[in-house]
Amino acid sequence: MKNLSFMRLSLWVYLAIFFAYLLGPLVIMSATAFNSPSFPRMTPWECLTFEWFSALFRDERILNGIWNSILVGAGTVVLSVAMGLAGALMLTQIWPKLRATYYTVIIAPILIPGVVLGISTLVFWDRINRMLGLGADSWLSNGLFLTIIGQSTFIASYCMLVLVARLQRYDIALTEAALDLGATHAQAFRKVLLPFMRPAIASAAVLAFLASFENYNTTTFTFGEYPTLTIELAQKVRYGITPAISALAFIIVVLTVFAALANEASLRRKELVAAARKKATVEELESGRLKLPGFLSSNAAAVALVVVACATVAVVGTASVYSPAQCIADIQEQKRLETQERIRNCAASSRAKPLLRQRLRSERPAGGRRGQPLRQLTCSIPKQKGSPMGPPFALPGPRQNNILPGTSGRSSLAGSSR
Amino acid sequence: MPSFLREFFKRNGTGMGSLMLGLVLFWTIGLIILPQLSMLDFSFRPNLPPPEIGGPKDVYTLENYKYLVYGPEGGSQDYNAVDLKVFFRTLVAAICVTIFNLILCYPIAYYLAQTKGNHIRIFALMLIIPYWINEILRAFALRIIFGETGVLNNMLVGLGVFDTPFDFIRNDIALYAGLGYAYILLMIFPIYNVIESLDRNQIEAARDMGASWAKIHQRVVIPYAKPGISSGCTMVFMLSAGALAAPQILGGPSSLWFTQLIYQQFNDNSDWPQGAAYAVVLLVTCILLVLAVMRLFKVNMGDIGK
Repeated sequence: MKNLSFMRLSLWVYLAIFFAYLLGPLVIMSATAFNSPSFPRMTPWECLTFEWFSALFRDERILNGIWNSILVGAGTVVLSVAMGLAGALMLTQIWPKLRATYYTVIIAPILIPGVVLGISTLVFWDRINRMLGLGADSWLSNGLFLTIIGQSTFIASYCMLVLVARLQRYDIALTEAALDLGATHAQAFRKVLLPFMRPAIASAAVLAFLASFENYNTTTFTFGEYPTLTIELAQKVRYGITPAISALAFIIVVLTVFAALANEASLRRKELVAAARKKATVEELESGRLKLPGFLSSNAAAVALVVVACATVAVVGTASVYSPAQCIADIQEQKRLETQERIRNCAASSRAKPLLRQRLRSERPAGGRRGQPLRQLTCSIPKQKGSPMGPPFALPGPRQNNILPGTSGRSSLAGSSR
Repeated sequence: MPSFLREFFKRNGTGMGSLMLGLVLFWTIGLIILPQLSMLDFSFRPNLPPPEIGGPKDVYTLENYKYLVYGPEGGSQDYNAVDLKVFFRTLVAAICVTIFNLILCYPIAYYLAQTKGNHIRIFALMLIIPYWINEILRAFALRIIFGETGVLNNMLVGLGVFDTPFDFIRNDIALYAGLGYAYILLMIFPIYNVIESLDRNQIEAARDMGASWAKIHQRVVIPYAKPGISSGCTMVFMLSAGALAAPQILGGPSSLWFTQLIYQQFNDNSDWPQGAAYAVVLLVTCILLVLAVMRLFKVNMGDIGK
């Protein structure tokens, strides 16, 4: 018995760790969108601000990226759902000997790394373009076209998997009956098969849009003149990050939670209605006086949805009247005082300076960062401990490189590999 | 017209049949097979300026592949140590990420599949929500946590575990955590799908016979879940070996991922054939590795993706 309760405890600990790993980063990222320092961090908390949201909506490149993403997403949804449906239908009637090969071919794009797909799309269409003798600005080398084509290659496979699952439950006799009754093939498809497939097509379309919206690996080779949101974000994240990105992430998280809760609530509602119908007597059903359960009754997701909606309205309302100016001024004053304190400390310890300078020189990493004023380095040491503010964003020396990895180290490596 | 084609058109009608056939052929041949072959062909060609393509200099060569192994001609080293090191490091790290994900995800997949109740739906929802959020933003979230002044460092320094902030990014811990984080769902779902169809009575029978908890998993659940485990592992391995966003954002300044080398060849060096050759090497090695492991554990290719 003791063993069992131990198991139970360890299960809950495991679940807690798992979900902390899964959701913790998102929660912390969302919180940084409301903190005033210009480097996204949660601790120390300075001021509640909504400034980053306005900064986000002023950012032309992000807005343009969102628009491009929507264009690409729409194209990808149409193309990949069509190809996925055709592929799924073909799978049900292909020559049995070819079936395994065919399945391997259409499932392969899921496993091929996105980078490879992007490159092969780029190389192939570039070659076609050249073969046809078209110039560099033809539609075949257009970023929008290439991105849609490249993404559809593997997104169609996802769609195919979703559609095949539903198609397996389709009774082919229905189509045959329609044909016997004089429908044309197109009519039979549109009026019989398509309505049956509609839920699966809807979920395939949503899946395709989401996959397209967040794709980076393939798009990064094909986007050309049409940088999507993901590309813009990656550029921003690689070369200097601001809480405006957290603000965007927060908006996406909130939209996602809304969509998930709405979906869950409507599913639950359907269940409840079906259960109520089942329980009702024939009389009640016929007279139409059947009492359906209320929208919020025993529907946790619906309650949560309403709560989240209310919270959103409250936050937006607060944002429109709230101003963090006073708080930010206070914090700045506090920082100024601290800097003064630090300078004083530095001056006080200047007697020990020659020694310290020597030590620092020997501690500096091999390869050395050039042009780093030594004085700054010396003075940045004492504020590490005990300072409630923590180091500011633009730290001198090796620290800055950790915040913005990539450029310097990478290019030096690239140079050596050539 | 061959008979099976005639039958196909008879069954689907000429219009619908040709539309369907056209779409499938466009997808399989135009989007999947030909581009890969074209990339393969391209990787055997020298890097020429556009006017010279198709000219007398445009001949097949192994130079691009040689470059990966031996480095630039007349170089100081016998082997291209930098690129080869990155290549093997990528493979080993991808394998480690896969194993880490399997260990992390197997229990939760088992738990979700074998427990009934309302809270399971909430858990499933909580699992899916992070995957509706952009890959870049997920990496960005981890960057905030693992950064020099990030939450984790502040916490650890505050608790007195470290005296000075620990550099998670330079030590690649952030990168591995990010890659693992990115593909959790791809590991959970295949395993969940298989275990869900496992009859609970089998587990109970084993328990009645006196099997220990570990034995039940070893003898009953894991053999049954093998197709799910293998397809989850395959996907996580392929995707993390081919990941580009997470290494770019979370990788330290000196740690490169093989896909980043490919990216550099394309974007910084404008050497497309070289990049294509690297991509081919990555693709072929990954496929061979997956096939070898599948042979080792006796799993069929047909089980993948189900």
